Amino acid sequence: MTEMEPHDIQIDTLLRSSMAAPIPGLPSDFDQRLMRELHRTSQPLDRYRWILLTGYGLTSAVASAVVMHSQRLSWGTIAVMLVGSFALAATAPWTRRAIHPTTQHSA
Amino acid sequence: METDSQLVARAQSGDQQAFAELVSRHRAPVFRLAVSILGREFIPEAEDVAQEVFLKVHHALQSFRGEAEFSSWIYRITFNQALNLKARVRFRSPHEDETVLERTVTSQLGPDQQAETAQRDRVIAECIQTLPDVYQSSLRLYYWLGAGVAEVAELLNVPENTAKSYLHRARQLLHSMLKERGYSND
Repeated sequence: MTEMEPHDIQIDTLLRSSMAAPIPGLPSDFDQRLMRELHRTSQPLDRYRWILLTGYGLTSAVASAVVMHSQRLSWGTIAVMLVGSFALAATAPWTRRAIHPTTQHSA
Repeated sequence: METDSQLVARAQSGDQQAFAELVSRHRAPVFRLAVSILGREFIPEAEDVAQEVFLKVHHALQSFRGEAEFSSWIYRITFNQALNLKARVRFRSPHEDETVLERTVTSQLGPDQQAETAQRDRVIAECIQTLPDVYQSSLRLYYWLGAGVAEVAELLNVPENTAKSYLHRARQLLHSMLKERGYSND
């Protein structure tokens, strides 16, 4: 701050004296509290999501199998199609990571 | 020492230790930025903001692509989170400002001068609160929290020259406001 005008200097001095106060800090147990909170909020959510996703997957698979069988597809073909779909869903996260490396900087 | 990018990569693959290290690295600047936006009447709220920011970051970590620096990303989240909270607490009475009380009691000034100084400080604080958020934050970071221009620029995600101009413009606006209220020698 080298090129200060006179009134700038006046305000600068005023602010230095007016805003001088103890600097606050985070409590020493901030990390512990954060980790506890993180554990509390993420665990049940993950479990809930997992149950929901599994239920949805199984229901969809059974419904699809019934519909496909009613269209006279053989059980063998239906099984291949369902296993194929599950395999695709299971490999999606790895495929995504391989295509978009997440920590590479664009700059 | 590992870079933020390396720690982020480890945290993204589920390493909680890496996330804890990121928290430990960034908790102080995140809190300083939050407190600079909210002001010293809302320090407990700034702590809540810091916690919320890290919870958000943890949940959104998988979506972080690394196009920007991790620090820029987390400071942007902090800025928005603090502004949202500020909008909510605007009409709530602030906590007792003990810092001012302590300064008044321990001061060497006489009672009249103490009252005058306290009144002047109150007017300055009121004027600061009417400034745009980035100006308020710059002033508090620079004059209260002792940050240099480089730190102000980093926390507000702007170039150093912009941070300098924020401070300059904030001082100009304050000068005009104080002049109107009779607190200037001009």
